Amino acid sequence: MQRCTVKRPKPPARETKNAKLDLDQADISEREAISKETLLEPGLSQNISFLQQISGKSDDISVRRFRIGESISAAAVAVDGMADQRVMEDLLHALMVDSQHLKITARGRAMFDMLRERLLIVHEVREVCSIGDVFSAITSGDVGIFIDGVSEALICDAKGWQARHPSEPTTETTVRGSREGFVESLATNTSMLRRRIRTSSLWIEVLEIGSLTKTQVAIAYIKGLAKEELITELRSRLERIEIDGILESGYIEEQIEDQPFSIFPLVRRTERPDVVASSLLEARVAVLTDGTPQALVLPVELPIFFQAPDDYYEKVPIGSFIRVLRWLSGVAALTLPGLYVAVVNFHHELLPTELFLRIAATRQGVPFPVAVEVFFMELLFEILREAGIRLPAAIGPAITIVGALVLGEAAIRAGMVSPSVVIVIALTAIASFSVPVFSMGIALRILRFGFIFLGAVFGLFGVQFGILLLLIHLCSLRSFGVPYMAPLGPFIWQDMKDNIVRLWWWAQRSRPQLLVEEDNTRQSEHAKPRPPRP
Amino acid sequence: MPREKIANRQLLFILFMMRTTIVISFLPVLTSADALQDGWLAAILAFFGGAAFIFIIGGLGIRFPQDTIVSYGTKILGKWPAKLIGLVLVWAFLVIAATDTRLYAEAIVSGYLPDTPVEFLIVSMMALSVLAAYAGIEVIGRCADVLFPLFTASVLFSLFAALPQISLSELQPVFARGFGPVLRGAIVPSIITAQYLSLTVLTPHTNAPKKALGTALWALAASSVILVMAAAGAVAILGPSRASRVTFPFFVMVRATQLSEFLERLEVLVTVAWGFGLFVGVSVFLFCSARLLAEVLNVSSYRLLLGPMLVLWSSFSLHAYRDVFQVYAFFKPSVAGPFAASLILLPMGLLWIGYAISATRRKKQ
Repeated sequence: MQRCTVKRPKPPARETKNAKLDLDQADISEREAISKETLLEPGLSQNISFLQQISGKSDDISVRRFRIGESISAAAVAVDGMADQRVMEDLLHALMVDSQHLKITARGRAMFDMLRERLLIVHEVREVCSIGDVFSAITSGDVGIFIDGVSEALICDAKGWQARHPSEPTTETTVRGSREGFVESLATNTSMLRRRIRTSSLWIEVLEIGSLTKTQVAIAYIKGLAKEELITELRSRLERIEIDGILESGYIEEQIEDQPFSIFPLVRRTERPDVVASSLLEARVAVLTDGTPQALVLPVELPIFFQAPDDYYEKVPIGSFIRVLRWLSGVAALTLPGLYVAVVNFHHELLPTELFLRIAATRQGVPFPVAVEVFFMELLFEILREAGIRLPAAIGPAITIVGALVLGEAAIRAGMVSPSVVIVIALTAIASFSVPVFSMGIALRILRFGFIFLGAVFGLFGVQFGILLLLIHLCSLRSFGVPYMAPLGPFIWQDMKDNIVRLWWWAQRSRPQLLVEEDNTRQSEHAKPRPPRP
Repeated sequence: MPREKIANRQLLFILFMMRTTIVISFLPVLTSADALQDGWLAAILAFFGGAAFIFIIGGLGIRFPQDTIVSYGTKILGKWPAKLIGLVLVWAFLVIAATDTRLYAEAIVSGYLPDTPVEFLIVSMMALSVLAAYAGIEVIGRCADVLFPLFTASVLFSLFAALPQISLSELQPVFARGFGPVLRGAIVPSIITAQYLSLTVLTPHTNAPKKALGTALWALAASSVILVMAAAGAVAILGPSRASRVTFPFFVMVRATQLSEFLERLEVLVTVAWGFGLFVGVSVFLFCSARLLAEVLNVSSYRLLLGPMLVLWSSFSLHAYRDVFQVYAFFKPSVAGPFAASLILLPMGLLWIGYAISATRRKKQ
C-alpha cells in the first residue's frame, strides 16, 4: 500500500464564489486540469461539495454520509451500477457497526491507518489525495471514503459492474478449439490470458490513454522472451498518443502503425484468447484495451493473416492442406476478376478453344464491355455484403433473396450480365471469405478493383505490373521493425516450418527467428513420438 | 546513414535471375552466332568465359569489402579517374538495362499486345524498377527472395514440359564443323557477364562481402545449367537451323509444347518469369547506377537521381534500337563482343594495374 507523498501546495481558494464561477466558465482542458490538480482538504463537507460541484448534477454519483463510532463524520462515494452493492453494504456495515466494537480513540492520520488495517475488509485499499484520483477510481467501480479531518481519501476495491459473459467469437469461429472469446472488460480479458499462460514471466503493464475517457490499455508480453526494444518502442508509441478518447482498439492500432498509409493491416486484431496466448509464446506482444473485445497482436507478418487456429488443432496434413487452400484463395480473391477481364479482352488464345467459345456464347447480346460488367457486379457484391452485415437478423433472408434471385437471376435472364461473369464474381467472393482475418480480406477485395482496371487496360501485362507493384509495397512494409513479408522475403528457411504449410508440433523446435534474440528453443530435440521398443 | 544490407543468398538470387532472363529472352548461344546444334557446348564454354570475367570484376571488390568501385577506385587511382570509371559503369548498366527492357517490350508486343505501343511497356517496366530502386536494395533483395521460387519453378516447369517433344537426333552430329562455331557461340553469352559489373556496387551491401565472388560464381553456374538445358532443348525440339533463326527461341520452344488437350500455351508462364527476372535485373541496374552517379556527382542521396534517370533510361531504350532486329544485330560477336569486353576490361584493367602497382610498392617498402 502506498501512502500519499505528494507535497501539498497552497490549496486553491475554491470555496470562494469566484472559484465556483471559474469552474463553471472553464473549458474542458481547464476543468480537467483543476480536477487533476486540486488536492483534498481536511474538511469533509468541503471535499464533498467540491466533488459535487465538479461532477455537476450527475445523479448517478451517490454520496452516503455516515458516522464512524460516535462522532467521526465520513462519507462514501460511488457510481451507481459500477460498484458492487454487496461489497458496498459490507463496507458500510464495517464502518458504521463494527467500528463500535473497536475503541477508536485516535484522530486524524492514526485513525485513518487503523481503519485501513483493521476494519476495511476488502481486497484492495489505497490512498489518494486529489479529487481527480478519487474520480477516476470511482468511475472504475471503486468506493471512495472521505473522513472528516483527513486530507486523503481511501479507495476500496468494489468493482461490480455488468459485463458480457465470454462467448464464442462470432468473427473467428473454429471447428475445434476453445469457444471462449474476449469481452469488453479488461480484467476478464487479462484473466483469460493468465489462465492460459501461468508463468510469473507473463507481464501485464497497464497505461491510461485518452484525456477524457481515461481508458485502460494493457501491454501483455512474456518477459525475457519478447525483445526489450520491441516493448520499449511499443510503450513509447503508446505514450505518444494524445487523444481525448479511446473507444475501440482501432483508435490505438492507427496510432501505433509503422506505415499509416498502407491498406494492409500491420497489427493483427483478434477476439480469441488462444490466438493471443500462442502469439505471446512466439515472443509477440499483445495490447488489450478496456471496453474492446479485440486484442491487438504485434509485430505481424503477412503469412499470419492466412493462419487460423484450426490449422494447429487439426492434424498436420489437414491443417497444411487448408492453409495452402487459403493462400490460393487469397491470390484468387485478389486477381481472379482482373485475370478474367484480361484474358477475355486481350488473350483469347490462352483459353482452350471450347472454353472460349462457351464464354463468347454466354456473352452474346450483353450490352456492356466485360470490364464494366465485372466492375459493376463486384461493386454490387460489395454493397450486398455490407448490407448483410448491418441488416437486422430478422430480415437477413430478404437480402439473400433480393441479391441472389432478383439481381443475379434476373440480370442474367435479361441479358445484362453474362453467367460466366457471375461465376467469376461468386468464386472470388467465396475465395475472399476464406481469408481468415477480416482486415486482410477486405484489403484484398479493395485492391481487386485496381487489378480489374489494370487487366482491362493492359491485359496480362497489367496484372503482372500490379503484382510487382504490390510486391514492392509489401516488401517495403515493416511491422514494429519486422519485415512484413518475412519469412518469404527475407527468406528464412527455419521459419518455413509454420508458414505456407505447417509441420508437426514436434518438428517446430524454434520460435520465429526475427522475433527472438536469444532463447529460441520451444522444445527438446527428442520430441518426436515413437512406439515403445520391443 | 546505416548502409542497407542484403544477404548473400539474396545476391545469389538476384544474379541468377538477372542472367537467366537473358536465356529466356534470346538464347544468345544459338542466335548470336552459328553454333547450331553445338549450342549447348558453347553454353558450357560460356560458363568458363563468364567465370573469368567474374574474377576480373569481383576480385577487387572483395579486397575492399566496404567500398563501391568509385570509392576503392579513388584509393587506387585517385579521384578523377575513379569518377570516370564510375561513369563508364553507369553507361554499361544503361546499355544493358535498356537492351533487356527493349527485348522484353518487343516480345510482349509481338506475342500478346499487338496494338500497344512499345513505349508504354518500356516506360511502365522502367517506372516499376525505379520504384523498387527508390525503395532500396533491401527491398529489391526481398522481392528477389519472393520471386525466385516462382521464377525458377516457371522456367524449370516449361523446360520439363518440353521433354516429350525432344528428338535427340537433332543434336547430332557433335563438333561437326570443328571448334570454331562453338567458340563463336560462346562469345556473346560470356561477355553478357558484363551484367555482373553490378557486383562492384552490390558487394559492400552484402552481409559477407568476402564471399560475394563465390556467390556470383554459384549464380553463374546455376544459370549456366539452365542455359545448357535450354540450348539443348531448343535445338532438340525446333531443329538447329530454326532454333538459331527465330527471334525468341525459348519462347517458340515452349509454344511448341502441349502438355495435354487442356494445358497448352505454356509460354505465358515463361513470359511471367521473364517479367519477374527483368524487374529484378533492371531494378538492380538502376540502383547501382544511381549509387555510382551519386558518388560521382557528390549527391547526398542516390534517390534524388532516380526521377531524371527514369526519363533518360526510357528514352534511351526507345531510341537506341529501331526494332528488335537491330537488337539482334547488336548481339553479333563482332559487335557486342568488343563493345562489352571493353566495358569490362578497360575500367577493371586500369584498376587492377593500379592495384598491382600499389601492392608491389607496398611490398618494397
